[in-house]
Amino acid sequence: MMRDYWLSKLFFDLQSPALVAEFRAERDKVLARYPLDERVKQAIAENDAPFLAARTNAYLLRYYFFALGMKDDEFIRKLNSG
Amino acid sequence: MASLVGAFAASHGPLIVREWEHVPAEQKSRVSAAYRELGRRLTAAKPDVLIVVSPDHWSNFFLNNYPAVCLGVGEASEGPPEPWMKDFPHRQIAGHPGLAMHLAEEAMRQGFDPAVSHRLTLDHGACIPLWRMELERLPKIVPMLLNSIEPPMPSLARCYQWGALLRRAIDSYAEPLRVAILGTGGLSHSIGEPTMGAIHEAFDRETIKLFSSSEQSLIEFLEAKLPNSGNGSEEVRNWLVAHGAAGGRGFELVDYLPVPKVIVGCGFASWRV
Repeated sequence: MMRDYWLSKLFFDLQSPALVAEFRAERDKVLARYPLDERVKQAIAENDAPFLAARTNAYLLRYYFFALGMKDDEFIRKLNSG
Repeated sequence: MASLVGAFAASHGPLIVREWEHVPAEQKSRVSAAYRELGRRLTAAKPDVLIVVSPDHWSNFFLNNYPAVCLGVGEASEGPPEPWMKDFPHRQIAGHPGLAMHLAEEAMRQGFDPAVSHRLTLDHGACIPLWRMELERLPKIVPMLLNSIEPPMPSLARCYQWGALLRRAIDSYAEPLRVAILGTGGLSHSIGEPTMGAIHEAFDRETIKLFSSSEQSLIEFLEAKLPNSGNGSEEVRNWLVAHGAAGGRGFELVDYLPVPKVIVGCGFASWRV
């Protein structure tokens, strides 16, 4: 079980509606506050759910994609696309 | 002395709120009736305090510190933080510091070593059942947040032992309080995994059946099957706490039904205490 702390912290923090609004408007500005690996940033940009799933808690992953406004059907499809 | 007057369990799940309008009418009716029946039984037991055993869905704890068990010993807990829980009628939920600290002290004395918090936030895990049970008056709530979200989690046997410990601690509390326990969560569901949406009805029904068997049979079955029954199924730990508190005497199944729209095998149980 692998945990990327800063990725997980980003997802944890994005439970805040205010931060979600900021993330949607200025994603790079929010991401710059977290010392994320470049490959992780790329996975966030590409909504690469399997890559992210391997690095964080499943509930946090689900919360993140929900916060982005992604429907569950699409999220499940992405999770299974790896 | 205090006494245990009821032990119950009920499922929770965000979609029970967010997708409720899309649940087929018959399932909606059964789920509502089951919650209400638990509410009726809880009210009839006249509890002064309700110990709510629930996971923390990343509302209080993070990877910096995720306790196996945390008892809420404060004067009050905060209501649910999720924006979609905004209609839950309590922003603050009164606690019972006297009993809660007694539970924590007895746990320490008997080698259980819980964390304690003087101010917890109770998320949908605790609050959906409390809401849907339609209680006219909320008893004082002592939260017990038990990790079933982030590995490593307490063993299933330990969760059962926690229930027995709570019972002993309640029985030894000097004030004549009436105390009930509500375990929330389960039965099978899968969150944020490739299997998300799957409900393992056969697992759920066998689990329910084994609650009437020995705890050893139940725990052996769960240890074997939980890894392939969806991560949400881990919340059955909270049912094991209620089971242990009730002396493992088995429960009356109020209802069980898989509800695909809320992606949960919804179970509702009332123990013989």
